[in-house]
Amino acid sequence: MKLLSKLTLFITLSKLLIVVLFVLLLPSLVGYVSFQYSNYYLRQQKQKVLSEIKQNGIDYYLQGDSAYASYTMLKEEYISILPAENEMVRDTIETSKRVVGGDTLTYRILTHELTGTHKNYILEIGKTTSTIGEYNNLLQRFTLYVLIGLIALSIVVDLIYTNILIRPLTKIVKTKLLNRKFPFKEPLSPIKTSITDFQILDRSLIDLMEKIHEAFDKEREFTSNASHELMTPISILQSNVENLMMEEDISDEMQDKISAMMRTLNRLKKIVNSLLYISRIENDQFAKSDTVNVRELVTEMMEELSYRLETKSIQFSNDTSKNSYLKLVNRDLIFQLIYNLINNAIRYNKENGSIYISDKHLPDNTYQLFIKDTGIGIKEEELATIFNRFKKSGKEKGEGFGLGLSIVKSITAIHGFTIEVSSEYGKGTVFTITVPAYLPV
Amino acid sequence: MKTLIIEDERSLAREIKLFLEKAFYLCDSAYAAAEAKKLMIDNEYDFILLDLGLPDKDGLDLLNETKKMCPSASYIILTARGDLEDRIKGLDLGADDYLPKPFSLLELQSRMQAITRRKSGNNDPVMELGDFSIDLNKRTVYFEEKEIELSRKEFDLLSYMILHKNRPLTRLQLSEHIWGNFSDDDYDSNFIDVHIKNIRKKMGAHASVDWLQTLRGIGYKIKI
Repeated sequence: MKLLSKLTLFITLSKLLIVVLFVLLLPSLVGYVSFQYSNYYLRQQKQKVLSEIKQNGIDYYLQGDSAYASYTMLKEEYISILPAENEMVRDTIETSKRVVGGDTLTYRILTHELTGTHKNYILEIGKTTSTIGEYNNLLQRFTLYVLIGLIALSIVVDLIYTNILIRPLTKIVKTKLLNRKFPFKEPLSPIKTSITDFQILDRSLIDLMEKIHEAFDKEREFTSNASHELMTPISILQSNVENLMMEEDISDEMQDKISAMMRTLNRLKKIVNSLLYISRIENDQFAKSDTVNVRELVTEMMEELSYRLETKSIQFSNDTSKNSYLKLVNRDLIFQLIYNLINNAIRYNKENGSIYISDKHLPDNTYQLFIKDTGIGIKEEELATIFNRFKKSGKEKGEGFGLGLSIVKSITAIHGFTIEVSSEYGKGTVFTITVPAYLPV
Repeated sequence: MKTLIIEDERSLAREIKLFLEKAFYLCDSAYAAAEAKKLMIDNEYDFILLDLGLPDKDGLDLLNETKKMCPSASYIILTARGDLEDRIKGLDLGADDYLPKPFSLLELQSRMQAITRRKSGNNDPVMELGDFSIDLNKRTVYFEEKEIELSRKEFDLLSYMILHKNRPLTRLQLSEHIWGNFSDDDYDSNFIDVHIKNIRKKMGAHASVDWLQTLRGIGYKIKI
């Protein structure tokens, strides 16, 4: 999942959690607040009554009667002053039922003992609980709406800001990491951002890629220079040996030795030649401007190699489509690429084995070419390294210098193709060359 | 045939000279461009073998100049640079062939002969080989007016061995000629045996092919 999606998800979920928590807490919260408020209200009323009594005496209420009671029209509130009985009444607030004007209602009641001149009185101020809760629902709904509005606003703001915040990162990933091809030839420019972490990341990536590119260049340059420098001495040596071989009075034994020298020299020559060839491919010295018909190329190659197939009695079938073209490629390199693969397919094949070449156009315009053989196969632990230089399967046979597949790899890489290998040891191998959809086929 | 070898590696120049003289070429050597130019003023050459990496001048520049001085000569570029661009430039400047180092002296001689044949309008005499006659121009082999069908590779091999007759030729030398520098290795050279076997079979059906000798552990030789 992308960082942005994760952050979006997190922000939304965390806010939703807050909303849910709040909705759960809201009734008790509002209940508590209105409860506290009604207590406060009752105490205020008590203070008012007390100050009246202080100013005007208790008779202001009693008017000569022994008790006083009054209630509002809808019986939401009442007040009563009654003579105190024997028991001590504390100064309390409690919820209790009272019969007022013939109706039994639940009230929040403040009880207070008044100390009069002759006797004590009890003051009760009540407020129906239904009036206390009256505004609760409205208050809750209103608070909820405001909260949801605020949360929505904060989600939008958060998302916009997060988006802006990680935009440099997205840009770094896009320009520095995705679609970047080894060895990172294109020059890179730093990304504009005020976030130091991203600056460091960006800078490090650029440095790293430049270093890789430099190291790659150095290796390539070294291979090229070293190979060139080796060519002249090898050339001299070869001429020496060739002339030596032509001496007339040489014993058979000597001739054998010279011949062995020649073979070693040849091996040296092929290795240097292959390395040079690879460095030339990697240096882009081959123009890619040819169009190749795959079927015709394979057919031509088979004619070239027919005697090898015959020697080993290998069945060969070319099942490629007539209309498969590789465009903007170098014909010689493509020839070498397929030649090396088919040559290997013959070399590592068994007597009476078979080689099957086919291709496929995928719906997304990707083109795949398969070279399948029924040869000795490649061990699983060797599969990962077969394209590396100087690695080869079937070492015991002493054939090849292990550069053939390295050349194959370089040729596919320079054209933007990919090559994959799958193999079952003892049964055979399939090489798959894939031409990605964005390249013309 | 008079040949000028322009090569700054003296030991290589010496080996080339030694080899070509055995094949009856007359050779001069020059180790630098200035020296080569001096020789070209005084002499008429049929072949000029030119190394591109000279100490005092780029070989391609020298080629450009000497093409005017010795227009009738055939030029073969010998180089360790081997860049495709050099090759194209060299051939554009009028070189007749291009041989990347390290090359086989046999291959050099074969290229020289091919140039001579081309320039003389392909009118080599028909060669006699045992009881067979071989027409290098038409690329045909006859036994008493009867044509023997050889494949392209088989004929290439046969004509190469005829050119280097009476010399031991290794499988590697033969395979390099047939498959070029990119013939892979020993594996390729084993197929030389297949071709030789075919040649022997096809021609041996008509007359003795004793002239085609196997050198055990080395290769083959045509002995005339």
